[in-house]
Amino acid sequence: MKRILFLIVLLLPFIGLFSSMPAPLVFDEAVANTIVHVFVLAGLNVWLALGTAWWLLFTESRWRPFVEWFLFLPLFVPALASTFGMYVALVRFGLVGTQFGVLTVLLAVTLPYSIRIAYNAMYVIGRPLFEQALFLPPVRRVQFVLVPLLTETVRTIALMSTVVVLGQFVLVQLIGAGLVPTVTTRLYHVYAGNDVSLALQNTWLLVLIPALLYGGIGYLMRIWMKVMKGRLR
Amino acid sequence: MSLKVTNIRKRFKQRDVLAGVDFSVSEGEIHALVGVSGSGKTTMLRIIAGLETADAGTVTWNDISLLGVPAHERKITMLSQTPLLFPHLTVGENVLLATPDRSKADAEQWLRRVRLEGRFDAEVHELSGGEGQRASFARALAASPRLILLDEPFTNLDPVLKYELQQLIRELVADLGLTALLVTHDREEAMLVADRVTLLENGAVRTTGTPTALSAKEPTFGDFIELDGVLYPLTRIEVSREPTGEPVVLVRELTRFGVRLGEYRRLSGEYVILPCDASFEVGREYQLRKKQGVVEC
Repeated sequence: MKRILFLIVLLLPFIGLFSSMPAPLVFDEAVANTIVHVFVLAGLNVWLALGTAWWLLFTESRWRPFVEWFLFLPLFVPALASTFGMYVALVRFGLVGTQFGVLTVLLAVTLPYSIRIAYNAMYVIGRPLFEQALFLPPVRRVQFVLVPLLTETVRTIALMSTVVVLGQFVLVQLIGAGLVPTVTTRLYHVYAGNDVSLALQNTWLLVLIPALLYGGIGYLMRIWMKVMKGRLR
Repeated sequence: MSLKVTNIRKRFKQRDVLAGVDFSVSEGEIHALVGVSGSGKTTMLRIIAGLETADAGTVTWNDISLLGVPAHERKITMLSQTPLLFPHLTVGENVLLATPDRSKADAEQWLRRVRLEGRFDAEVHELSGGEGQRASFARALAASPRLILLDEPFTNLDPVLKYELQQLIRELVADLGLTALLVTHDREEAMLVADRVTLLENGAVRTTGTPTALSAKEPTFGDFIELDGVLYPLTRIEVSREPTGEPVVLVRELTRFGVRLGEYRRLSGEYVILPCDASFEVGREYQLRKKQGVVEC
C-alpha cells in the first residue's frame, strides 16, 4: 500500500505526460546539442569538482580562504556575478552564439554547486580515511578506494549539473543567441504555441535524460565495484 | 639503519607547533613521543608520514632524506586513534589491499597474527572497537613497512583491550624486527610500551631516554618500580598483609609480554622486595624507584 501511495505521489506531476501521445522522437540538432551539453558538463563538473574539493581538503595555501569564500558564500552570488561578467567577456571575444560560449557559461553556473557537493562528501567521509589511502600506490588508491568511496558523489554531481543545465533556458538562449538550439530552448517555443505533441516529446526528453544518466552511472559503478572486488581477490 | 629527525620546524598561523625538534629512532626499537595536547607530537608524526610538510629541517631514513618523497613511497604505515578501515571493503579485503602482491594467503595470515582468524569476509561495521584496531594493525603490517607510526592507538579502548593491543604490538614489532614510533599523551603507556621515550614540550624536545632513566630523572613520569628490567607503575602495586601480619606487596601489573602476578615481601620497613615468583631470585636486591629518588636495598 505504501509503495502504491509513493508511486502515485511520484508520478502525479507527470500525469499530463501520459494524457496524450507525443510525436515520434526526431534526433535533430537540438537533441544532439542537449546530449553533448549534458555529457560534457557532467564530466567536467565531476572532474573539476572532485579535484578542487581534494585541493581544499588537503592543501594549505593563503589562497584557500579566498577560494572557499568565493565558492561557498552565498552560492548564487559568484554564480550570478561570474555569469554576467562572462556575458560581457564572451561578447568581447566573439563567443556569443557558439557551443564553447554556452558550455562555458553553463559550467560557471554549475561548478560552485558541484564543488560544494564534492567537498561536503569528502568532509563527511573524513580526511583521515583519505589519508590512509595516500599510503597506497596511486593507481591502487584510485581504483580500489577513491572511485568506490565517491560513487554516490559522482552520481549526485552528474545529476545536479544535468538538471541545472536542462533548466537554464535563459542562459542558453542569451549566450547561444538562438544559434545553439537545445531541447529546452525549443520547448519554450512549443509551449508558447499550440503543438502539444511536440511539447510532450521535449518534456519526455527532459525527464528521460537525467533519469537515464543517473541510472546509467549507477549501473557503471556497480560494474566497477564487481570488477574491483574480483581483481582485489 | 634508523630514522633521524633534525631541527624540524612547523608553524601554523601565528604559532610555532614544532620549534626545532631533534631525535632519532634506532632500527627495531619502539620509540615513544610523549607530550600534552598541542605539544606538536601528532604534527611530527604526520611530517614523518608525509602527510604534512615541514617548514624547515630534515627527516632521514638511513641517511636518505624522506622530505619530498610521497607517503606511499616512504614504506611507512600509520595506525590512528580510531580504526580507519575502508567501509566498502570487507576486513580481509582491507588487508589484501595493503599487501604488495595482493595474496589472499598473506592477508589471512596477517589476520591470524592479530587474532582475527575467520573474519576475512566480515564487514567492517561488524567489528568491535578493539577488533577494528587489530584489523587496522594487520593492514598496517601487511604493507611490509620499515617504520610503523602509532598515533595514540590505544586512546579509545577500554583497559583490557588496551592492554591486549599493547601486548600484541610489542610482540609483533619484536617478531618482525620492525621499528615503531608511538605518539601518546599517556606517560605510563609510553613507559610500559616503549624502549625509549622522548618528551615533547611546547614544540621542543625536553628530554630523551630509556623508561628507567626517565623514571629516575623526570618526576613528572610518575612512580615506577623496576624489577628485573621490567617497569611497573606503582599505582598498580597493592600492599596487603599476610595472616602473620607481615606486609606483602602484590604486583598485579602486567609485564610487557604477558600478565605476571608476582608477590613480593616487604621486610622491616625497608624496601626490600623478595619475590615469591619463580622469575625472580629470592634474596636478590631490587630497586624501588620513587619520585624523590632511588631507594636501594
